[in-house]
Amino acid sequence: MRSLTIAIAALLVFSLLIAGCVGNTGAGKPGPVVTGSEKLSIKVSGSTTVLPIAQQAAEKFMASHINADIQVSAGGSGVGIQNIGDKTVDIGMSSRELKTEEIAKYPELVPTKIAYDGMAIIVHPSNTISSITIAQVRDIYAGNVTNWKSIGGPDKTIVVIGRDSTSGTRDFFTTSIMGSVPYVKTQQELNSNGAIQQAVSQTPGAIGYVGLGYLSGVKALPVNVNGTTIEPTVGNVLSGKYPLSRPLYMITNGQPSGLARQFIDYILSPEGQGIVRSTDYVPLP
Amino acid sequence: MKPDHQKTSGRAIKERLITGIWFFCAIFAVIAVSFILFFLLYNGYPALAQTGLWDFLFGGTWNPVSSPPQFGVLPLTVGTVLVTFGALLIAVPLGIGSAIFIAELAPPKLKAFVKPAIEILAGIPSVVYGFFGLIVLTDWLRVTFDVPSGSSWLAGSILLGIMALPTIVSVAEDAISAVPNEFREASLALGGTKWQTISRTVIPSALSGITAAVILGVGRAIGETMAVMMVAGNAAIIPSPLWNVLSPIRTLTATLGIEMGEVGTGTPHYFALFGVALVLLVITLVVNFCATIILGSIRRSQTGGGGGRHLVSFKQKERIISIITWVIGAVLVTVSVLIGGFMAGALFLAIIALVIFSKEKLSPRYAQFLAFSILTALVMTVIFILGVILYDIISKGIPAISWQFLTQAPSDLGRAGGIFPAIVGTLYLVAGAILIALPIGIGAAIYLTEYTREGRLTSIIRTGVDLLNGTPSIVFGLFGLAFLVLFIGFGISLIAGQITLALMVLPTIIRTTEEALRSVPQTLREGSLALGATRWQTIRRVVMPPAIPGIITGTILSIGRAAGETAPILFTAAVFSKRFLPSSLFEPVMALPYHLFVLATNVPGSATNKYGTALVLLLLVIGIYSVAIAIRHHYGKMTHG
Repeated sequence: MRSLTIAIAALLVFSLLIAGCVGNTGAGKPGPVVTGSEKLSIKVSGSTTVLPIAQQAAEKFMASHINADIQVSAGGSGVGIQNIGDKTVDIGMSSRELKTEEIAKYPELVPTKIAYDGMAIIVHPSNTISSITIAQVRDIYAGNVTNWKSIGGPDKTIVVIGRDSTSGTRDFFTTSIMGSVPYVKTQQELNSNGAIQQAVSQTPGAIGYVGLGYLSGVKALPVNVNGTTIEPTVGNVLSGKYPLSRPLYMITNGQPSGLARQFIDYILSPEGQGIVRSTDYVPLP
Repeated sequence: MKPDHQKTSGRAIKERLITGIWFFCAIFAVIAVSFILFFLLYNGYPALAQTGLWDFLFGGTWNPVSSPPQFGVLPLTVGTVLVTFGALLIAVPLGIGSAIFIAELAPPKLKAFVKPAIEILAGIPSVVYGFFGLIVLTDWLRVTFDVPSGSSWLAGSILLGIMALPTIVSVAEDAISAVPNEFREASLALGGTKWQTISRTVIPSALSGITAAVILGVGRAIGETMAVMMVAGNAAIIPSPLWNVLSPIRTLTATLGIEMGEVGTGTPHYFALFGVALVLLVITLVVNFCATIILGSIRRSQTGGGGGRHLVSFKQKERIISIITWVIGAVLVTVSVLIGGFMAGALFLAIIALVIFSKEKLSPRYAQFLAFSILTALVMTVIFILGVILYDIISKGIPAISWQFLTQAPSDLGRAGGIFPAIVGTLYLVAGAILIALPIGIGAAIYLTEYTREGRLTSIIRTGVDLLNGTPSIVFGLFGLAFLVLFIGFGISLIAGQITLALMVLPTIIRTTEEALRSVPQTLREGSLALGATRWQTIRRVVMPPAIPGIITGTILSIGRAAGETAPILFTAAVFSKRFLPSSLFEPVMALPYHLFVLATNVPGSATNKYGTALVLLLLVIGIYSVAIAIRHHYGKMTHG
């Protein structure tokens, strides 16, 4: 038994030592922590789509506010809304509007629009197709078109890849493209922009949809609107030419106050909107 | 007279107190499971009531966003069963073959290399498996089978099979090693070959441990979320035809993993997802119930029993072993086809046909040669898989590693800077989880093996432990969120994550400790008790010391799991960025697997730091393992002289 105790102790001491001996050096941030003044922290959680904006903004914000600690985590829009509703965080991030049930459960929530997200239709780089219409996308996702040949592409079976049914991106795809047309049942579902980008980049027959920040290694198809083809770019979304974009929200419980308010105001400021643009999202008009 | 009497009653009180503590430890698992069950029922009931139990369970369409929404979980249930079945087909032959090789055939030096190597497989985080699967495995399947997409049932099964391997190997190897040497010596003295000794004496004696290994493996496979949802395609369809292994498929866990994060709170869909979790838990209950019955009958037949009736007769045992041989052959053919093309497969098939053909006339020595060749091939397959995965991570991770990477906080969304706070956070989480789970787990195992006879109470506790073992990590995450974070009010915090992880690893610790305690011969206990030692003295001085290597193995597996899991900390403890290291248990932390998960799924252009993070996580786990393995090695030397 004594030997067991020693064994366990050795294991624990080993891990605690590592944690302990490095524990006092701070988070590696060079900024001096002013003693005496209060350390302010807020928690931000929710949509994975909004995370890059929040994180970049938090880094810049904290660089000029040395006592501020903005903790950002991503669990999904639903989790973000639940967290802010239950007040376990200070700001919830969402890539969709509040649902009726959520408004009923948490009537105090106040969403603030902080940016737009453009959505690109992507295919494998080897795909020879040059543009696509909304109707063709709908036919593919409904399962009516199953080979690229039918719409002027190579002779390849189409692999339909979409987001999971709860994703805000999918929600937006449904309302802006599918309407009431049901999806083909063999549609593969992945739960992040990154996973869709990866899957499409290595599957020659694949089609998918992602935010504008996820276009490396894939071919983003220009959308054909009434005969003119429009590239999916931030500029085209801003000018209103590109049809596929949706708003992103930061949600507070009641009107924003304190550090949460400062942070949201920072994102809405010209500097904050510059961060939005540089992370491949679309600033507010 | 008087002092003597006092001493005895003092001892009796101490004994009773100790019994009480262990009893509480053991019942803890049951309490935890009841809490989780109650919570799932409470949240899942509205969906069941609305859809109707029959339509919910056997409805053929899962489409939460159609109008009206359709919540039929049949395709998901079928998906879970098929993927798990496929994974077992891969993991059981490979795992048990490797276990036999390590325990019986490998020379000590080789054993010292192979066993830790396989345990390292357990330390690879599921997110890494998932991305390895998505990038390497599915692409390879697509090209090999010339299909439009490699995201399929087969990809999910291969990945889950690999992930279940270390559990099966470790536990089965411990069970085989625990078979007393007298058995082997007796068989060899009677003129049996080494293979005859292994197949007729050692394996039947270790059958209960091997079964436990397989059950733990099933638990691992059914409960896996993060990896399977990245490679299985997640189309909610039943494969047509049913054996079409290249069809995309969706499991119950993947449904929770991909839909839970974004679903609107309080919507019918939200409740339906809790219904899905409930179905998942019931399936694990059924699996474990069947396993318990099998295990019980094996134990009975082993101990002989008064009636002398064996549930599995000798002839049946022979048949079972020949079926297992067949399955191993089939898997080897498949694997060689996959790796070496059809020629290699045909060659293997020819060899196997030759074996079957000449089986009757086969001399025992020749049979032994063949059996050993097959076992060696199995182990080499496992090592090959390990090599491929490690090479992928190491070769892509090395460029990211630098002093700055290890000691700085991340910047630019983790594309630049380091991962220091995440390393510290993971150490805090794992240390806390083990600190909580180890005493409770060992206590529960001691109570189950030493303080009770098998009865209704132990079977309730055992069922509780089995259920906890089968509970998917994502369900722990949901439970942690609803109970610890919201109900108790810890908020997203270190302590919530530690408790959630502790609950998750508890059954592994209980199971392996129990198995280790059980392998200590009863005669030792009787000897100690006969000399006048109390029960607790017997346990502390006689039973525990030889069981330590087994307990450490369980702890190693737990550390690996706790360090690498994403799902349980996703909603309970982890944040993507945090400026200061946590100064109390009630602050959230950064953690390596979560950091990796976010980098991999939501930060484009972070490939270098992503693999760097994966490599650091891997090295960290290997570091902890090495210490534990060294400790085990030390005890191994001591107990074997």
